[in-house]
Amino acid sequence: MSLAELLGTYGQNYLDGLLATWSMTAISFVFVMVLAVLVTVARVSPVAPLRGLGELYVQVFRNIPGVALLILIAYALPQLRVVLDWRTCVIVTVVLLGSAFGSENFMSGINTIGVGQIEAARSVGLTFTQILRHIVIPQALRTTVLPMTNLLIAVMLTTALGSQVPLSPQELTGVVSYVNTRATGGILAFLISALGYVLTAFVISFVGNRLDKRVRILR
Amino acid sequence: MSTRTQTAPSVRTALYEAPGPRAKRRIAIGTAISAVLLALLAALVVRQFYVTGQLAPRYWSFLLEWPTWRFLLQGFVGTVEVALTAGAIALVLGLALMLGRTSGIAPLVALCRVVTDFFRGVPSLLLIYFFFLVVPQYGIQMPAFWMLTLPVALAASGVLAEVFRAGVNAVPKGQVEAALSIGLSPAKTMRRIVLPQAIRFVIPSLIAQLVVVVKDTTVAYVVSYPDLMQNARVLITNYDALLSMYLVVAVIYVLINFAINKASVYVAHRTGVKIIR
Repeated sequence: MSLAELLGTYGQNYLDGLLATWSMTAISFVFVMVLAVLVTVARVSPVAPLRGLGELYVQVFRNIPGVALLILIAYALPQLRVVLDWRTCVIVTVVLLGSAFGSENFMSGINTIGVGQIEAARSVGLTFTQILRHIVIPQALRTTVLPMTNLLIAVMLTTALGSQVPLSPQELTGVVSYVNTRATGGILAFLISALGYVLTAFVISFVGNRLDKRVRILR
Repeated sequence: MSTRTQTAPSVRTALYEAPGPRAKRRIAIGTAISAVLLALLAALVVRQFYVTGQLAPRYWSFLLEWPTWRFLLQGFVGTVEVALTAGAIALVLGLALMLGRTSGIAPLVALCRVVTDFFRGVPSLLLIYFFFLVVPQYGIQMPAFWMLTLPVALAASGVLAEVFRAGVNAVPKGQVEAALSIGLSPAKTMRRIVLPQAIRFVIPSLIAQLVVVVKDTTVAYVVSYPDLMQNARVLITNYDALLSMYLVVAVIYVLINFAINKASVYVAHRTGVKIIR
């Protein structure tokens, strides 16, 4: 199939696929950030059960394969009478996986702050919330720009799991399997989707690098 | 991807002063409340299992039989074979891509950069569909093993190229300058001075990267290769026990990857190297 033919027949599918990938990525990433903050708060809290839960959460979702988690949520949960629609299944999967890595990024962001700074802040009389607001969180956020940029790209790549459930509209990876089971799309059918991912990743990392250069703390 | 320092408890503990009597009481109350809430949550989950009949023995009894585990073990061997082969290919390819990118020969640098970024920027599932659906269209017949191993290896090679590059960058510049100034050629400098150190720097990261490879192999069912997940699916159709089987398999994967991560941290600790992601 030529490029013109391919785009003429399936152009709309690719466009919908790109938009589906983008929208799932954006929605997932918002929830990833919120959940990552909550998990990180639990992990640094002085309450032992919460800390344990936070650690368990991170270890489980950092190590579980995406497909295994998606299958659990999409096909096993209905057996417990928890039925989510396909798109929600994919987003929940991506959010659970992503937030574990997000929390790891926040933790290493926190750990780059010298213990001396916290001790200094306390000795000039700042309260716990003041220390968090003025010392820990601003620095942790600045050092996590680049890791979070990479996480955003990883979240986008993880939405490819959507090809394993009947989504409509399909996302970019699903479109490739859709096109190739109906026609011999050849290498072009694959490259169009691949370019969609690669160019998006390129833009994300470009913006992320610019942002990082502006806010980075030189040590 | 991101540089990850080991979670040292120092900052975490530095955040809090030694608690006084009131803070101690509040922490105790918080601990009690959260413990009760967590227990309630667990009870709710178990109740939901019970109400929907998922605790019935027929869903779990087959897990006590040896043939079940023998079959899962066969799948596990399949997973290990794919993961190790893909890992080995990715090592060689990643190293080659890194060498190309740091070679200083402009066209080669550009090519290796594009290839690295491409494999890093594309989901491994898309690569698997490429080998599963697109390659056969050109009349190339491949066994399922390679339809799974090659895409997993390619996806990992892009990441490994960057890991190796980070390792090369971690070798002090002065050593390269010194080597060049005593008359070693750039190639010899790389081979004799930079690479041996760079590889030592990245060994923990390479081990950690095996986790990603293992995760990627789970989509083996797309090409019907008998790995752990695919064999679990077969068992599910045999015993009609979907939830229990998938839960058990998920736990197995988590434990495998947890062990790999621990090994990586252990090696990093032993050699005093930071894990580069």
